[in-house]
Amino acid sequence: MSTAVERKTKNYLTGLKEAMYEEMESNPDLICMGEDIGLLGGAFGVTDGMQAKYGAERVIDMPISESAIVGAACGMALNGKTVMAEMQFIDFISCGFDQIVNMVATYCYRTAGEVPIPMVIRGPAGGYGGGALYHSQMNEAWFCNSPGLKVVCPSTPSDAKGLLKAALRDPNPVVFYEIKELYRKRSIEEELLDGDDALIPLGKARVGREGTDLTLVSYGNPYHLSLSAAKKLEEFGFSAEVIDLRTLVPLDEETITESLSRTNRLLVVNEAPMTCGFAGEVLARLSQAAFEHLDAPPARVTRTDTPVPWATPLESDVLPSVDDIVEAALKLCRY
Amino acid sequence: MPERELARTAEPRKVSKATEPLPRDILTPDDYRELLDQLYLARYFDVRLTKEKKRGRLRGTLYSSHNQEAILVGSLYALRSTDWISPIHRDMPAFFLKDIKNGWDSKDRLGMSIEEVCSQVWGRVDSPGRARDNWSHIGSKKKRIIHSTSMLAGTIPVAAGVVYADRLDGGDNVVVTYNGEGSTAQGAFHEGVNFAAVHKLPVVTVIENNQWAFGTPAHLGCPTEDVADRAKGYGIPGLVADGQDVLDVFDKVSEAVEYARSGKGPSIVECKTFRSYGHGDHDDDRAVKYRPQDEVEVGRSRDPIAEMKKVMIAEGLLTQKEADKHPAEYKGAGEVTDHDFPERVVEFLSRGVDFALKSPLPDASEARRWVFKEEDQ
Repeated sequence: MSTAVERKTKNYLTGLKEAMYEEMESNPDLICMGEDIGLLGGAFGVTDGMQAKYGAERVIDMPISESAIVGAACGMALNGKTVMAEMQFIDFISCGFDQIVNMVATYCYRTAGEVPIPMVIRGPAGGYGGGALYHSQMNEAWFCNSPGLKVVCPSTPSDAKGLLKAALRDPNPVVFYEIKELYRKRSIEEELLDGDDALIPLGKARVGREGTDLTLVSYGNPYHLSLSAAKKLEEFGFSAEVIDLRTLVPLDEETITESLSRTNRLLVVNEAPMTCGFAGEVLARLSQAAFEHLDAPPARVTRTDTPVPWATPLESDVLPSVDDIVEAALKLCRY
Repeated sequence: MPERELARTAEPRKVSKATEPLPRDILTPDDYRELLDQLYLARYFDVRLTKEKKRGRLRGTLYSSHNQEAILVGSLYALRSTDWISPIHRDMPAFFLKDIKNGWDSKDRLGMSIEEVCSQVWGRVDSPGRARDNWSHIGSKKKRIIHSTSMLAGTIPVAAGVVYADRLDGGDNVVVTYNGEGSTAQGAFHEGVNFAAVHKLPVVTVIENNQWAFGTPAHLGCPTEDVADRAKGYGIPGLVADGQDVLDVFDKVSEAVEYARSGKGPSIVECKTFRSYGHGDHDDDRAVKYRPQDEVEVGRSRDPIAEMKKVMIAEGLLTQKEADKHPAEYKGAGEVTDHDFPERVVEFLSRGVDFALKSPLPDASEARRWVFKEEDQ
């Protein structure tokens, strides 16, 4: 007899898993496809046990063919199904790029709304784990710059569950960035709701920490770095508000503007390269929308404009750190 | 550099042997007459649009299907109403030829009306996609026509997904995808056909081998004599049809469709043909320079309308006098007149053109709509 006591709190990966199982159960037209997702249960185990439960026709082990994964998912979606297409690593999404930006993203537009494509393309993303160039990317800007796609990136277990459920019910294609370094992180575990109660609407940011002196806007792993930075900033006598965007497209400008009306300072943090990255987009949009509120030039902390290298000192150098955020925040606060 | 050989379209060196009894054996004399009329219709559409374009009445590019009509007519005649197709840029007639055998003006046929197709060509609001993408990228979920993009072979994975979903729902519909020989070098071609073969999906890939991918001859895009040989790597049938012979295309595609519908899986049907003109109308003048004149003459020497007339005369279904009544074959857009076509054909298309000219242009307020699904839809 097992003596293990079931923990009430659950990790990020469990949040994703519960979302998929619940949606597979309630939507018989939901199909999952990807590399190694069936027999193996996914490279990270996100789809563990799903093929045994729902069969190989609904949980499809695909060849190493990202174009075929996305393209076939598109065909199924146009013919009455909802599809969850897994990219084994979000880095590999480049191999399915044409199908995503030219076929899927535009389908609703070019058919004047006749053919919306309900599908979610999801996969593990982000650095900080020694994944090197091709297992560390945050390439969300490619898709934010392709009209017709929603882009989502959860940072907590309950958001992972709630946003994935909402994405799987959305009639539009959603590119869903999961942060693999958060998959099994104990310190962010939390209790999860079930069914419809767990839903988190797309397009709504969340204030993760209230503050009065500046607003840190972030998503993914840098959201947690921003929370740590906020604690350090207390030591310097500054109170930082931290916003988790959760959805990049559509962007919740309102929540950020409201925050800036109180804090008057904006620092955006993400782990994508700087040039044409989404941090720049937030800066541009909010500089215009909240100009009257700003007391200091809005700033960003991002990855450097380099690939993500492998060796630890190299990787640490190019990715944003808590210290980088604190340093940039102090500049803003003392402006 | 691989050696340059002249195109062999006039008489394909090898055509697959069709299985007896031939699928064409079920065709009646009326079917033969209908097929001939459809060849006329596809040709008339092409020459009429070429003229309209030259008169400056049209925007966009016409990718002429002149000399390749037998491929569309023969393959579409092998389908059921509920089957799917995914045509590409050179297949404009496919949009209205789909399911046209169930009545050119039948309201419930699962193909586009000529009014819809012409509205698309003229960029009018009555186009199925309200003229949001160009000429050849229309489609219709209702009519079971998959929309293409300009990225060639990109529709093959999509087509595979469509019939995968259909099969899950208990259906036995087939999809016919169209591509040129040039597209078979694309990664999406391989990924799509491979996936279809692994799952034995009912995907028939028709390759219109017209010998030229824009300005690149076929032998610089495919290392084998027959593009159909690519099928070997997927363990699926690869048939070669005479693309100038509508009945041979019908036979080979029927065989592939039957094979697909019975659950045996996908196949490739290569139809040998020749691109009569430039890649698009913008390329006509240059094509004269990059393609040897003797090759063009040989390539155009077996007009599909003439080939069908020969068969019908031999079978006693057409007299020479009747055949001569509408001598559209072997004539370019500059030489042909409406009198070279049956009245039924001219009347049908003219109705589409008149309709399109009266259809309004879409209002500018529509330009920013439908990036995402709208609530009221």
